[in-house]
Amino acid sequence: MKTLQKKKFTFNDYWDRYSTITILVIMIAVFGALRPTSFLTGSNLIKIMEQSSITILLGLGEFFAILLGGIDLSVSSTMALSGALTAQLMVNAGLPPLVAILIGVIIFGAAIGMVNGFLVTATGLPPFIITLGTQALLRSLGYIVTDARAVSGLPASFSKTMGGKLFDIIPVPILVALVTAAILTFFTAKLQAGRNLYALGGNSQSAWYAGITVKKHTILAFAISGVCAALAGMVNIARLAAAEPNAGTGYETYAIEAVIIGGASFFGGVGKIPKVIIGGLIIGVINNGLNMVGVSSYYQQLAMGCLLILAVTLDRFFGASRKN
Amino acid sequence: MEPIVQMTGITKRFPGVIALNHIDFDVRPGEVHVLLGENGAGKSTLMKVLSGAYTPDEGTIRLGGKEYKHLTPHISAEGGISIIYQELSVVNWLDIRENIFMGRLPMKKMGPVPVVDYAQMNRRTEELLEKVNLGHRKPTTPVSELSISEKQMVEIAKAVAFNARVIVMDEPTSSLTEEEIQRLFTIIRQLRSEGKGIVFISHKLSEIAQIGDRITIMKDGGYVGTYQVADLTTDDMIRLMVGREIKGTYQHTPEENFQFGDVIFECRHLTRKDGRCKDVSFQLRQGEILGFSGLVGAGRSETMCAIYGAAPKVSGEIILHGKTLSIKNPYTALRQGIGLVTENRRETGFFQNFSNKRNIAIAQQLKNSSLDGLGGFTNEKQEQAIAEKQREEIQIKCSSLEQLTVELSGGNQQKVILGKWMASNVQLLIFDEPTKGIDVGTKSEIYKLMRGLADQGIGVIVVSSEMTELLGLCDRIAVMADGRITAMYDVADATEEKLAKAATAETTASA
Repeated sequence: MKTLQKKKFTFNDYWDRYSTITILVIMIAVFGALRPTSFLTGSNLIKIMEQSSITILLGLGEFFAILLGGIDLSVSSTMALSGALTAQLMVNAGLPPLVAILIGVIIFGAAIGMVNGFLVTATGLPPFIITLGTQALLRSLGYIVTDARAVSGLPASFSKTMGGKLFDIIPVPILVALVTAAILTFFTAKLQAGRNLYALGGNSQSAWYAGITVKKHTILAFAISGVCAALAGMVNIARLAAAEPNAGTGYETYAIEAVIIGGASFFGGVGKIPKVIIGGLIIGVINNGLNMVGVSSYYQQLAMGCLLILAVTLDRFFGASRKN
Repeated sequence: MEPIVQMTGITKRFPGVIALNHIDFDVRPGEVHVLLGENGAGKSTLMKVLSGAYTPDEGTIRLGGKEYKHLTPHISAEGGISIIYQELSVVNWLDIRENIFMGRLPMKKMGPVPVVDYAQMNRRTEELLEKVNLGHRKPTTPVSELSISEKQMVEIAKAVAFNARVIVMDEPTSSLTEEEIQRLFTIIRQLRSEGKGIVFISHKLSEIAQIGDRITIMKDGGYVGTYQVADLTTDDMIRLMVGREIKGTYQHTPEENFQFGDVIFECRHLTRKDGRCKDVSFQLRQGEILGFSGLVGAGRSETMCAIYGAAPKVSGEIILHGKTLSIKNPYTALRQGIGLVTENRRETGFFQNFSNKRNIAIAQQLKNSSLDGLGGFTNEKQEQAIAEKQREEIQIKCSSLEQLTVELSGGNQQKVILGKWMASNVQLLIFDEPTKGIDVGTKSEIYKLMRGLADQGIGVIVVSSEMTELLGLCDRIAVMADGRITAMYDVADATEEKLAKAATAETTASA
């Protein structure tokens, strides 16, 4: 078959590249038009970013599970457990905040993720099942280590810095999310391991025959998910100045939504980190905007559901995934 | 004789492409009508028009005494057209009888309630299995336990069960051994004698001469002509199909006084954990191409997987350039200079979500990586240079290096995979069925590239089920049966008969 090459910039090409940002801009425009004085103010937009930071952080981790064609349902529990453990390190063990954070993120977060990854590779079961199990298990551990009570009395320096604002303008949580996203963007774009994860997500059989160490890379992907969830846990306890064992229940849904609205393929191998940020912001804008418009929270879930299905449907017909 | 189905002036356009351009095609009762053309010539599109999956833009289809502008899958099936695709559509977790009667289970009444009549299903399945030479299989055997050839027979039985008048077989022999092919041909001849029309799509010209009655040749979506097979030589077929002269078979003739170099690779007493290769030993000399012949399941691919570290072995030494290698997985094999071009490109050969550039660069990148592939940086510029070089050297036809490999033709996908290994400075490259599903033009290019590798001093091993391919390409041929090497021939002494004999040899006396 001979193909006639036509280089025309079509709607498909546009949607391929700018779908997520378009949705975000439309959302902001709609709410801005409805509530120009309250929604479209600098302070409200910054508030949206701050509110979205946890969704974004969880989404960044979730991205790697979904990139492999899997899923990580345990991110919300990981967030709560690592938050609670870190709070205890500060409150009960009296560790300096910075040390506690490092232990919380690098040791707790990564270890939980690696356990997930190990269980997935060792059993060969779908990540959905494994992380459904660890979600319940970790949540329960969170209640056990805290005696089902909130850990309060965190050092003021910690909540002020981690939950505060830089130069009194930029919320630190959003900075944490953006810096994490920047590091992960670098990781996926420039490091061999990042490239390998895309390959593994595209076709795990080919990956094995191409010489990619499948198990180690799977464990790495889940470890990144755990680290991001733990970071979200740090941000969360700082914002609340307390660690609650039931923190973030159900947030894994937001994380998955952010990744999917951000255009990642649920079948693996396709997706971009910056789009996860936009996906998370879209969720933040909807929740905030509907509040401003005075829509009851019952309807907010409805709006989220519709948006998710619409975004993925548009992608199915116009985006990159139509080719498969 | 009145044709069962007659397609006239079929034209099908896709955006920017004319996939079929005024094609005439008919199938008569009691004939094997071969459809021949290179990859992308439009054979599959034509068959999709016949099955009702595609609606043609122009042309008519006459079926069962009626004339249609286009068929629907329902009309096509009612008219007795049955298509057996290359990727078989049997359902692995059902048993044979359920596969055959899927969607049309025989029913009986149990009181007022209609229930499945298993007794009738078993009886009819047994009759059908007898007919396709699968009498030794029970109707209740799960299809997952069958070989590819047997699964194909189940599909044929299914077509026969529903009174198919035209059975289309899309490259039915591509995964079969010589013996299985002959068995398939026996069934085809029997169906022909019963007045069924068979459409046979294949790239293997020698088979066409064996089984075909008439042949329709297509090229780039256009109709070249319909001929009696007996009137054409294989060279005629190639000329008509590609529109240029290509010698049908590749035949390597070594230069006079050519001497092989030292032994560069040796495999000693290799045994796999699952026993699918046992005590396999062989040597490979510099400049030599070593072939592996045998039946499917003889352990050839399994041996290669074990050498490459893709499957666990219990014992055996792998020696490359005098050094004993420790190979734990494909990563360690690749790092030490061993490469494997797998049999199934789509499933195990490349990444569907990767551009040509990335697919070519990955082996070299992994080779330079650290920490089991977790460490190291990617380098866009270097990738571009590597891919550019391979694209030029082996003439990969693609619109750009950014194009997805999955969009290329089978032959060019294979070149991308070859380019990947060449870019990684591989020392030993193992090919498993390197020309499966690849058109003749690209085939001979790939043979030349393989010979070129051997001339450069790279070890080349080829597993193939096509004996003519091995006889034309290799310097020595090993034959395997039941996980062991049963014979080793210099190509000058080897014949198809000898290879076939060794492939079915008793394995107690291993060579």
